[in-house]
Amino acid sequence: MPDEIKTLSSQLAQDPDSLVFLRLGELLRHKGQLDTAHRVALTGLERHPHLPDAHDLYARILADRHDYERAFDEWDMALRIAPDHVGALKGLAFLYFKVGDVQQAAAHLEAAQRVAPDDPGVAQALALARGEGGAEPIAPAAQPMEEARVFAGLEGAQEGLLLLDASGRVLGGALKDPAGRDVTDAVAAYLAGVSQEAARTVKLLGLGKWTGLAAEGNLGHVHLAPPSSDALLLVVRDRAVPMGRLAIIAQRAALAARRWLEAHA
Amino acid sequence: MTAPAAAYGKALDLITRVRGVRGAMLVSAEDGIVVAEQLMEGIKGPALSALAASLATRLRRAMEAAGVGASVFWHLQAEQGALLVVPTPGGTLVVAVAEPDVNVGLVRLELLRAAEVVG
Amino acid sequence: MTTRAVETWTLEPLVKFVKEAGARLVLVMTSAGQVLAQHGFSRAVDVMSAAALGAAIMASTDEMARQLRQPAFAALNHQGERHGIFLAGLATGRGRLVALVVYDLDVSSLGLVQLFFEQLAADLQAASPKDSVPKQVLAADFERQLSDSLNTLFGR
Repeated sequence: MPDEIKTLSSQLAQDPDSLVFLRLGELLRHKGQLDTAHRVALTGLERHPHLPDAHDLYARILADRHDYERAFDEWDMALRIAPDHVGALKGLAFLYFKVGDVQQAAAHLEAAQRVAPDDPGVAQALALARGEGGAEPIAPAAQPMEEARVFAGLEGAQEGLLLLDASGRVLGGALKDPAGRDVTDAVAAYLAGVSQEAARTVKLLGLGKWTGLAAEGNLGHVHLAPPSSDALLLVVRDRAVPMGRLAIIAQRAALAARRWLEAHA
Repeated sequence: MTAPAAAYGKALDLITRVRGVRGAMLVSAEDGIVVAEQLMEGIKGPALSALAASLATRLRRAMEAAGVGASVFWHLQAEQGALLVVPTPGGTLVVAVAEPDVNVGLVRLELLRAAEVVG
Repeated sequence: MTTRAVETWTLEPLVKFVKEAGARLVLVMTSAGQVLAQHGFSRAVDVMSAAALGAAIMASTDEMARQLRQPAFAALNHQGERHGIFLAGLATGRGRLVALVVYDLDVSSLGLVQLFFEQLAADLQAASPKDSVPKQVLAADFERQLSDSLNTLFGR
């Protein structure tokens, strides 16, 4: 395997647009070299943003790093590009299992089985979900997947999601910069000012209420939205995630955050 | 080297031609003063420039703190309209005010082109 | 930081302006430098100095405009490294007043100050006593009035 990694690395260096990054990323992932695998997958994804296998590889690496929210987004994207992508269907089924949503897990596995009827892993997982073969079926989810994902993010996300009240106090989530430093409090303080200025701007210009602020940066993208009149939700992603997708992620996160706020009011 | 003022008008023209754009302007980011404008009736130029510049400053600080780098483009969405902005390296903001359902991708392209002209 | 007024009708417009424009220091005064309201100053001597200097600058530029056969300049702005100073005249029922605004460049901008100054001018015009004739200030009364004003402006 080390020889294969070396060979593939060399091929990729000679031709950065080559698809060998898929195999290389997978080998690195198997070896547990997740940081390197992450870099290879992300670079490959930037060059091939419409390749479902690239999203699938990235999602698997994210899942290995326990970044389930992003893994979900990547598998979701793979399915949008290729609705029959077996890897993405299995990946999403795995995530639904993790939050206890057996119905959704089974639905995705059944779809995978239709595409790949000879895949033993799919059959085994499906049996588990249905409680066949003596295995106990997994209890249904206490809450929908959307909410579970955002809720999990708010209850200790490592990065990428921040929920604030109108004064800039953190209600949930956390944020780290690319160097790994916790920037939650600093960003929260600045965001309160951004939100106030956004509200004032649209009011004085007669544009109604503001519904979102999307910004594209050199190193990453952000989307700020008010899930309620006295809360703010910030979603941050690196540049590999296009702005349009970030908007969809932010919309879903805002909906889930709204339900979370109502439940905690 | 910055373009002569006549080129500003042309750059703004290309932005305002996009369907749904109600006006475009160049704003000095530092002091929020209008540099050049092409606005439809009813849009308050000085208010737009001052507020866009103030919001741009606050957003820049938040983005720097979050580690996502300098802003390349931002889009404020509201119920009855939108503000789309591209900052230039020379300290100018290229601003468009538009209908809420404007083609954001197209406006963004024209703003980026205008930013290259303005410098 | 507190906002205080010798003439109470100036207070609400001034409070609103300070909040919206993010101004650090504000004086509202007559053309002669008599202060009607202030925000952000902590020492009487600073108010007196700022009012005198502000009134003098306005008088100088008014004279310059007159010599150029132009209407009076609408506003002046001086921009430093960290602060800006904005001076402008406005018409009220109390006569012509002058606003001196100091703003922190990290917090506000010329654009914002100008934008909300227009509202301040409109609010002061609307709130000012109508048809009031400005009182002539006699030398004998001047010091007493100044002392009374400063006491009011600093809440003593």
